[in-house]
Amino acid sequence: MTAGAVGESVRRVDIEAKVQGRRRYPQDFSLPGMLHAVVVWAGYPHARIRRIDPSEALAVPGVLAVLTHEDVPVNEYGINIYDQPVLASDKVRWLGDRVAVVVAETLRAAERARDLVRVDYEELPIVDDPLEAMRPEATLVHEDRRSNLLKHIYVRRGNVEEGFAAADVIVEGTYHTPFVEHAYLQPEAGLAYIDDEGRVTVICAAQWPHDDLRQIAHALALPLEQVREVVPAVGGAFGGREDISVQILVALAAWRLRRPVKMVWSREESIRGHGKRHPFHMRHRWGATKEGRLTAVEIEAVLDAGAYASTSVPVLENAVSFLAGPYAVPHARIDGYAVYTNNAVTMAMRGFGATQPPVGYELQMDRLAEALGMDPVEIRMRNLLEPGSIAVTGNRMPAVTSARETLRAAALAAGWREEPQGWRRPGASILRASHLRRGIGVACAYKNVGYSFGFDDRSTAIVELALASDGSIQSALVRCAAVEVGQGVTTVLAQLAAQTLGLEVSRVRVALTDTAATPSAGSSSASRHVFMSGNAVVKACRQALEKRDAALREESGATRIVAEATFRGHDVRRTTAYDIVDGHCEPHISYSFGTQIAIVEVDIETGAVQVDRLIAATNAGTPVNPRLCLGQVAGGVHMGVGYALMEEFIQQKGQVRTARLSEYHIPTVADMPRELESIFTEVPDPDGPYGATGLGETPTLPTAPAILNAIHDATGAWITELPATPERVWRALRGVPAQPAAPARRPCP
Amino acid sequence: MDGKVRVQATINGQPVEFLCEPRQSLLECLRDVLGLTGTKEGCSDGNCGACSVLLNGRLVNSCLVLGVEVDGQEVTTVEGLAGPDGLHPLQQAFIDHAALQCGYCTPGMLLAAKALLDREPEPSEERIRQWLAGNLCRCTGYDRIVRAVQDAARRMRREADAHAEG
Repeated sequence: MTAGAVGESVRRVDIEAKVQGRRRYPQDFSLPGMLHAVVVWAGYPHARIRRIDPSEALAVPGVLAVLTHEDVPVNEYGINIYDQPVLASDKVRWLGDRVAVVVAETLRAAERARDLVRVDYEELPIVDDPLEAMRPEATLVHEDRRSNLLKHIYVRRGNVEEGFAAADVIVEGTYHTPFVEHAYLQPEAGLAYIDDEGRVTVICAAQWPHDDLRQIAHALALPLEQVREVVPAVGGAFGGREDISVQILVALAAWRLRRPVKMVWSREESIRGHGKRHPFHMRHRWGATKEGRLTAVEIEAVLDAGAYASTSVPVLENAVSFLAGPYAVPHARIDGYAVYTNNAVTMAMRGFGATQPPVGYELQMDRLAEALGMDPVEIRMRNLLEPGSIAVTGNRMPAVTSARETLRAAALAAGWREEPQGWRRPGASILRASHLRRGIGVACAYKNVGYSFGFDDRSTAIVELALASDGSIQSALVRCAAVEVGQGVTTVLAQLAAQTLGLEVSRVRVALTDTAATPSAGSSSASRHVFMSGNAVVKACRQALEKRDAALREESGATRIVAEATFRGHDVRRTTAYDIVDGHCEPHISYSFGTQIAIVEVDIETGAVQVDRLIAATNAGTPVNPRLCLGQVAGGVHMGVGYALMEEFIQQKGQVRTARLSEYHIPTVADMPRELESIFTEVPDPDGPYGATGLGETPTLPTAPAILNAIHDATGAWITELPATPERVWRALRGVPAQPAAPARRPCP
Repeated sequence: MDGKVRVQATINGQPVEFLCEPRQSLLECLRDVLGLTGTKEGCSDGNCGACSVLLNGRLVNSCLVLGVEVDGQEVTTVEGLAGPDGLHPLQQAFIDHAALQCGYCTPGMLLAAKALLDREPEPSEERIRQWLAGNLCRCTGYDRIVRAVQDAARRMRREADAHAEG
């Protein structure tokens, strides 16, 4: 009866259109009378603007307008705080600042005119290193602030001095992670027009369209009702579409000129114009007893926040809660700092502050194992959080805490054996050639599901049932603005509705995201839609069934039933902000856990690393659609492999050095592990819909540290700075320091 | 005509005539002049493969070919993959193996795979991985794509054998 319900790998609802090239992405839309708009980008990473002269540009035939800050009603936006100018007025703070928008009848005219907009700059000193930026004498990125420190967050638990005194062994390490580019295949694009109800309407890619609306309406000084966003197919997001890109610019142009306006960023503009994953500078000091039990951790992390706040504060909040890993530790001192610089804005990217910490905590774990002569699985088993454990932030871990199950599943699959004296790794395998070394590495990680630290996370769904005369359900329509960014949420919500309504999934339709027709579901981020929007859809379906039953009892003859429900994360677990004294809090609504084991081959002559085999054990609760879940794991591992081995967005003195995909490398099919084995541990989340929970981000987290630990196992070298490029590995193997061209790293303050 | 050039070509089996600027790429002509938006722009400098099409059966990045170059030539895009009898075996295999997520790389990936299978009906997995390395995907991790191409190759060989016997 319920074909396609929970647990079945039903086909994605959008797949037939996508294989035929019929599914439209933002750049595929056009309208009659449409104008073309291009951005005039900041000429310098840090400079004062003396004057903007558009006269030559305006003289180009076909050019209708050169919009500057003077044309923006309220010249500010920002996802957390309004600290970014829509169009820069007095100052530019990074190369991604937008100074003007040229609007013309043709793209060619707009592009020609862009080069003729004269901007007179006074260059300012550049702050490009967050550690330098923290010094009192540093140049200020924002002159209205007393320092470049955006936020300091800390946790104090127990007494670390006591903890270190009780330790038999102490290991220390510093770790550095780079800026990372989202590199979704579809560059930013948008088409704005005034719809038939007088609303300025933007067709674009987004992750939380209702939050975009807030920012568009604010900048244009319009009531929310007069703004609308429609989200068609989205070519990947990964956090990079949480922040505004083209939305306000095209809306502004369409509103001013009363004609449709389209803007499409080139790949270079995309790489320049949207934020990146935060680089972390981490310093760790961990103590453990000779039995391998953690006694104390002391951790400092400095995050490069780039030129504007974006979501740096919540990323830092997340990071501080994860820096000690999924381990129980009685004494902890953890400090995290987010610092403004003139580098690229840093923002959400798959993991949201949970991706960088494992590069530190999982190498620390292996260093402890090595110092104690313990098996890396065994030492983790002795310290992992379990349901009821007290986390570093003082909260009690919930029933879905499944770190142990994921580690056990991955270890068994990789050939580990559980013996009376503990876990024992598999023996060494045979080498293919004398210049190759094989190694095996394990890493665990975890991530929150849903928005954290007191945020009132919620999702709303409307379900409309069409009834036959006997009251049976013919079909259902789900309205819920959970953006399909490729992850498959549309299909999963249809399955959850089908399961709840007892209907075949083919009879459930999920409406396209349109703020005029679908209620806010919150963001397609934080691995949250299965949990948050899934719960909202199930709740709305149950209410619809009750209404239907009531209608039947009353013999009302109703043929249409509508129910709306909002699911609040706080109904499951009321999260709280960091306590001002000790940082204790209830950080997260729910959690996802994963363990990965990498088997790598290192060429000791070239430093090249090939991942031969990767085992990924992930907990998604009860998977709603196992095949879509596998897609998330495989895609997450792809990003993890890139993070580990090749991806690094490079800036020098604020200038982008990796401006194209020929310079910023993401893994091709030839770079991926030859063998990927995915295991779902299926520890249900009692708070998720039918036991399911999110997993969009967790599979990215353990990949890089598992590979780094495998490189160490193969060669004895610790690679502590990502990515582990052939050059870095080669140098580490020979003890040759990096060339001075690479910026020198200093210890954390 | 504002310096535009008349181009006559066969696109997806249909004779087509259009005007283009000498500087316009084939990608721009397909998308902006002919409205064939199935072919995607990912970088416009030949690094991502999203705009892959077949030019006289050969795999090209349409961003690196000028529109005027296809005068008198045959172009195949994603819109031309399905036949009167339904989807191309590659399209069907991509569906059956869930070989896409966001789908933006899919048209290019399909055309690249078709170029391979048209010339090599029995490629090894290694050969498929090597051949598709010019097409980037940020969502799937590629594994499902490789499986889909292997499966499509099997189906196409079966169809070809059935055809030969019939």
